[in-house]
Amino acid sequence: MSIRDRVAALHAELAEAPEFPSQGATLFVDLERRETRTGYTPLPVVRTLLGGRGANMYYLHRLLDESLTPLHPDIPLIFGSGVLTGLVPSAARGNCTSWSPESGVLMDSNCGDYFPSFLRMNGYDHVVLYGRRPGWTMIVIRDGVVSFEDAAAYEGLDNIDLRARVQQDLGGVWTRNMAMVNITRAGERQVLTAGIMGGPKAIYARGGPGAKMGALGLKAIVTLAQTREFTTAQPYKPYNRHIAQKLLGTSVVKNALSKTGTPFLYKPSRVLGAMGTKNNQETTWTDALDAGNHDPYRDGMEGCFRCPVNCRPLNDLHSAEPDRYDKGDGPEYVTLGKFGPNLGIDDVKAVMRLNNICNDLGFDTASTGSAIGWAMELFQRGLITTADTGGLDLTWGNAAAVETLLFLMSRREGFGNVVADSARAVEKGHYPAEALKYRMTVKGLWQSDPHDARILKAFALGLAVATRGMDHLRNRVTLEINAKINDDAAFKAELYGGPVSAEPNSYVGKERAVRACENTYAVGDSVGMCRFTTKLFNSPSLPGMEEFRQQIENVTGLVFTPEALDRVGLNVMGVERLINYRLGVRRKDDTLPDRWFDEPNTFGPFKGEHIDRAEFDAMLSRFYQISELTSEGVPRDEWRGQLNAVLGG
Amino acid sequence: MILVHFPAMLHPVAGREQRVDEPVANVGELLAALERLVPGLGAALEDPVYNLAVNDDMLLHGVHAHPLSDGDVVEVIPTIAGG
Ligand code: SF4
Repeated sequence: MSIRDRVAALHAELAEAPEFPSQGATLFVDLERRETRTGYTPLPVVRTLLGGRGANMYYLHRLLDESLTPLHPDIPLIFGSGVLTGLVPSAARGNCTSWSPESGVLMDSNCGDYFPSFLRMNGYDHVVLYGRRPGWTMIVIRDGVVSFEDAAAYEGLDNIDLRARVQQDLGGVWTRNMAMVNITRAGERQVLTAGIMGGPKAIYARGGPGAKMGALGLKAIVTLAQTREFTTAQPYKPYNRHIAQKLLGTSVVKNALSKTGTPFLYKPSRVLGAMGTKNNQETTWTDALDAGNHDPYRDGMEGCFRCPVNCRPLNDLHSAEPDRYDKGDGPEYVTLGKFGPNLGIDDVKAVMRLNNICNDLGFDTASTGSAIGWAMELFQRGLITTADTGGLDLTWGNAAAVETLLFLMSRREGFGNVVADSARAVEKGHYPAEALKYRMTVKGLWQSDPHDARILKAFALGLAVATRGMDHLRNRVTLEINAKINDDAAFKAELYGGPVSAEPNSYVGKERAVRACENTYAVGDSVGMCRFTTKLFNSPSLPGMEEFRQQIENVTGLVFTPEALDRVGLNVMGVERLINYRLGVRRKDDTLPDRWFDEPNTFGPFKGEHIDRAEFDAMLSRFYQISELTSEGVPRDEWRGQLNAVLGG
Repeated sequence: MILVHFPAMLHPVAGREQRVDEPVANVGELLAALERLVPGLGAALEDPVYNLAVNDDMLLHGVHAHPLSDGDVVEVIPTIAGG
């Protein structure tokens, strides 16, 4: 069945008008024929999965043809904004979903800035893209009207130049009435670590979405529209004030996120001995990269649409001979870790410069830093030499070589073509099979963050079971690093719905904490709430199920209890696991890199800690049990039947 | 004597560091002593955003009962998640 037939069958089942106040349409875009059609996500789907990430899974489940390959134009690329995106403080987010060309499993990536909200201002909640015509296309959505533009003039432009040119050509104003998602040269060349840029730094990063968009010949989608009021079921702004107060009254937001941003986490991780260093061969690094050392270069803070937090640090390196990478947006903790300790770089200015280059070249810094770290370890071990790297000296800490490599990657030139194949470099014949021993991936995806999870067993389980691969943003029980919560057993049990060991390196009860986080975060993604400001991620007092429930009711009129929302979170994971099962994922894939089982941690209060295989396996079984999964990690029969009844097809 | 270092966000309340000269056997007693030295500081340190490291070893549980010895250096470290 072709993608057009699949879309036609699905479209016939969609509602023709909004199912509830504030619902936007789903826009289907045939890029080859330059045709569009619209419909509305059916109410039973919304009641089961909400919108954003959740409803994206409905569309992917229905449109996926697993007999093809991820970059085939009949595999759709799906954007989706949450049911509260654009209406609630800090709900500025949306997801981008497909079959990952990087990992080979589910691709689902989240981004903020302005596009997810401005898409809704144009009347669309989801965009489903498929097909390809020769050359490059740009889609412009102006006050809800879709037009196709020839994007030949933008071919080869990276993020900085593209944003300048598009603004000049279309005449809008970023952050006021114009937003864009776009690929860079790396996306055009289908570099597997390429993301889809959603702003100067914001990016749909994980799983190679830039490569996927490049394979569709789509350079950018631009939205142009004034912000507007939504007709809602009930007044919702008074409760927005409550949410904003909750956000700004939380000390971690007030004192850390909105002042310095996420680099704050660098210090606790390195002091704990949990900072992935040199491709996780070591677990601590220099204090020279601590957040306090960013102060001289912090040039203000930025934020996403209507988010009062403004957590994104800007940088100005004040170089004597400044070039286009002397100023930028970031770095986040992930980038700091992946381009600092992970590559053996100890100079904060060097990391900031590499961050600014990645923002321009459109790279997922997690996968890009990891793929380079892997190459550096292979170089250290003599598995590759300068004969393979085209003369590049990949010694740890060589920031100049890393900079050169980034540009080579973005063009797929020389050794850059090898690293551009990311974790698939062995499969593509670039590295010997022995290199797989040092590849720090789960389900083919590099770890998203630099935290070495040999100590905190809840972190380890989360990375193993995350549906998109090795990623902390799906279920990280971050409060495991919080001593006061660990020491309050009753409070901790209430947070996670049952007892969870106080000891970070214990396996006891950790499955329960991961389950609670996974459900909460899946709902957060489906309403469009930022992870940083979602309960359980940074603080127990941030907005969670109760606040989501209240505001969903105010905005849409749909009534959920907190328990029902918890079930929605479980459902989202369930559908994701059904998709992954079709892509070949089984229990054996819910695991961790061998290094964490076999090599003990070498530094700090938990020196000697590693993951015990038997304990891990028992914890995974308990996780499957409470998650209503079969022994192969998919929803059990009865639940699967319920999901399939809603998903249809 | 125990030396306690504070992060920038606590400098307005606590200064950069405090010396605790009275004998304390564990972290719980240290926190009480800090409150006596700087009224309000104990309450500020109750905020779950703060972890403590004793001689560079970060404590993740059993904090109040953690034993201290003369000459120990304690550091207050704010923790957040991140992406
Ligand atoms: S907390 Fe930061 S990343 Fe999240 S929505 Fe607000 S500004 Fe954006």
